[in-house]
Amino acid sequence: MSLNTLRPYLMVAPSLIIFLLFFIYPIFYMIYLSFTSWNLISPDKTFVGVANYVELFQSQDFRQVFFNTVIYTVLTVFLSLTVALLLALWLNKSSAIYGIVQGAIFSPYIISLVSVSLLWMWMMDPQYGLLNWVLNLFHLPPSPWLTHTDTALLSLVVVGVWKIVGYNALVFIAGLQSIPKDLYEAAALDEASQWATFARITLPMLSPTLFFLLVVNTIASFQVFDTVQIMTQGGPVNSTNMLVYYIYEYGFDFFKIGYASAAGVVLLVIVGVMTVFHFRFMAKRVHYR
Amino acid sequence: MKKWGMVLLSVWIVAALAACGNQETSGGNATASADAGQNGSQSSSEPVQIDFWYSLGGKNGEVIEQMVKKFNASQDEVVVKPTYQGDYYENHAKVMASLAAGTQPDVTMIEIASIGAFADAGALQDLQPYVEGKNGVDMNDYIQGLMGNSYWKDTLYAIPFNRSTPLLYVNRDMLEEAGLNPEGPKTWEELREYARALTIEGERWGFSTPIDIWFYEALVFENGGKILTDDGKKPAFHSSEGIEPVEFWKSMIEEGIMKMPPGEKYNAWDVAAQDFTNQRVGMIFTSTGSLNGLMEQAQGFEVGTAFLPARKSFGVPTGGTNLVMMAKSSEEEKEAAWQFIKWMTDTEQTIHWSKNTGYMPVRVSAVESDEMKQLYQEKPQFKVAVDQLEYAKPRPMVPGYKELQEVIMAEIQRAIIDENMTAEEAMQAAAEKAEKLLK
Repeated sequence: MSLNTLRPYLMVAPSLIIFLLFFIYPIFYMIYLSFTSWNLISPDKTFVGVANYVELFQSQDFRQVFFNTVIYTVLTVFLSLTVALLLALWLNKSSAIYGIVQGAIFSPYIISLVSVSLLWMWMMDPQYGLLNWVLNLFHLPPSPWLTHTDTALLSLVVVGVWKIVGYNALVFIAGLQSIPKDLYEAAALDEASQWATFARITLPMLSPTLFFLLVVNTIASFQVFDTVQIMTQGGPVNSTNMLVYYIYEYGFDFFKIGYASAAGVVLLVIVGVMTVFHFRFMAKRVHYR
Repeated sequence: MKKWGMVLLSVWIVAALAACGNQETSGGNATASADAGQNGSQSSSEPVQIDFWYSLGGKNGEVIEQMVKKFNASQDEVVVKPTYQGDYYENHAKVMASLAAGTQPDVTMIEIASIGAFADAGALQDLQPYVEGKNGVDMNDYIQGLMGNSYWKDTLYAIPFNRSTPLLYVNRDMLEEAGLNPEGPKTWEELREYARALTIEGERWGFSTPIDIWFYEALVFENGGKILTDDGKKPAFHSSEGIEPVEFWKSMIEEGIMKMPPGEKYNAWDVAAQDFTNQRVGMIFTSTGSLNGLMEQAQGFEVGTAFLPARKSFGVPTGGTNLVMMAKSSEEEKEAAWQFIKWMTDTEQTIHWSKNTGYMPVRVSAVESDEMKQLYQEKPQFKVAVDQLEYAKPRPMVPGYKELQEVIMAEIQRAIIDENMTAEEAMQAAAEKAEKLLK
């Protein structure tokens, strides 16, 4: 083999080795483990076939966990994208004050979610929390927030949206600023309405950005863990238990690695299918210049 | 020439990566040979380093750190490195993961109901040879009532360390103001009456306790019931003895005289304790291990402690953690670990530990010592847990219980939160899941 054919392989080798070692190998190892019964430290892994998957799909808890994750993801992605778009449209101006606001809404994204979760827990305290105090100011009934099965998942959505919305808004603003100004000038000459300008120019021109955020947000929300671990630990009564926390719980609290791996494989498949779906169907509607 | 430069560069990168890998293995070899060297010469002056993972934060964690420091200063053969690893749950998860990765500690605290799960997985070292060895210890001096969770399948795996029973804590001043006996209620019905009398709607609750498996176990024991059958293979909590405690809690919460502290697991414990010190609730159930902390934090009122109010009888599970040694450690590390475990639980240390935290002394000789007797005279609150031991039972410890206790807690919560669900339905649902888990 001549050096010229070998060279590209050598060039990608470092990143390829890391990719194989930390992504591909663990995936196949997890798939293997999902067919075994193993407690993490025993030297022998008993092969049990598809028993873990059968148990998983028969488990009512897993069904609930799955739907919790879907509801959480749909709400978080929809709300964070909508709010972020509105913020971006509002903030897309060059003035010092808007810069400060931009910075302020972006800051949650860079703060550690663990410490922020603790702050949210205080604010959401049903008796002495800030949020119920505010509700009370407006003569609204207090909410039980994290302590009731009806509101706990929504409370996590609030934190999830708050966390990601600044990042989304920033990316939207970047997208907005890359739209050529002459398009808007042409629209102004034609006396197009504000709505028409938004729907016919801004939105199509922004669609690659929107698509990127949709994919990234969906995958990230599906893997939510920190807020669950810190704020609710899946409770009350499993109402906020979601896939990644469920996997953690079974793997490291209950020592059922096989079962946890089976759930991990399910997560992998779901995220994989979602990504393929996004690229196959959604991408067709994206307008690239 | 340029091409060659690129090739050389990539070769260099690959080589560098490979070298990184090699370095680690050679590093491993170096420590391995160092170990071998130490094994070879017993009189080597190098002290043995062992890792100790503990799971108590705050004031109690500080006491542990101080004790380890004292141990390290007291001799020059062993150096213990203490690390705080979060609460019991987090520590368990980390111990398990570290065992798989080969980075496990040598000594750690394990919550007593989980010792079966760890022992069954083969993680723990049989301690009998060390107890009988030349650096042995008289096991009869450990309080018998605390040894129930030390054995798994008749093998000794764990030595009692921070051990507790749940107590009823009362705000004596608040009770007196309300015209109640400051010694606290003696029965479930009295507890309900006291809670009612102390409650001021929207401002103060009479009673609060985390909806935790530990307190549930206590109420079931008091009601003459069992959590599991004696062989540990079937659930027994779905009898009327196990359902009534849930109904008791549910009715008090619905009446608004008991507060269910928000938060999951140990978060709820913290809330209950804070509410108690802030005088937002008059009475709580919590561990005797919080005694010293609560007495220090309670401003402007006197803290009283009492047995958990009785039903058919008094009754409590014991709680807390035992010290265990990892089976994966080397022989030399195990010797050092044993020395440390023995020291941490000897008469002098357990007295120091008990006085500074509220946990019970684990040695008979400690309870009978003048020092403890004097403390009990000055602060009788410290003696309640020890006296209550007479009614104490070990916690269930079959391996499946680690998961089952979460199931039971979730179902109790469901019964309490969901108005359409009765306590009986919830406990039946838990029992069905238990059948699967225990088989």
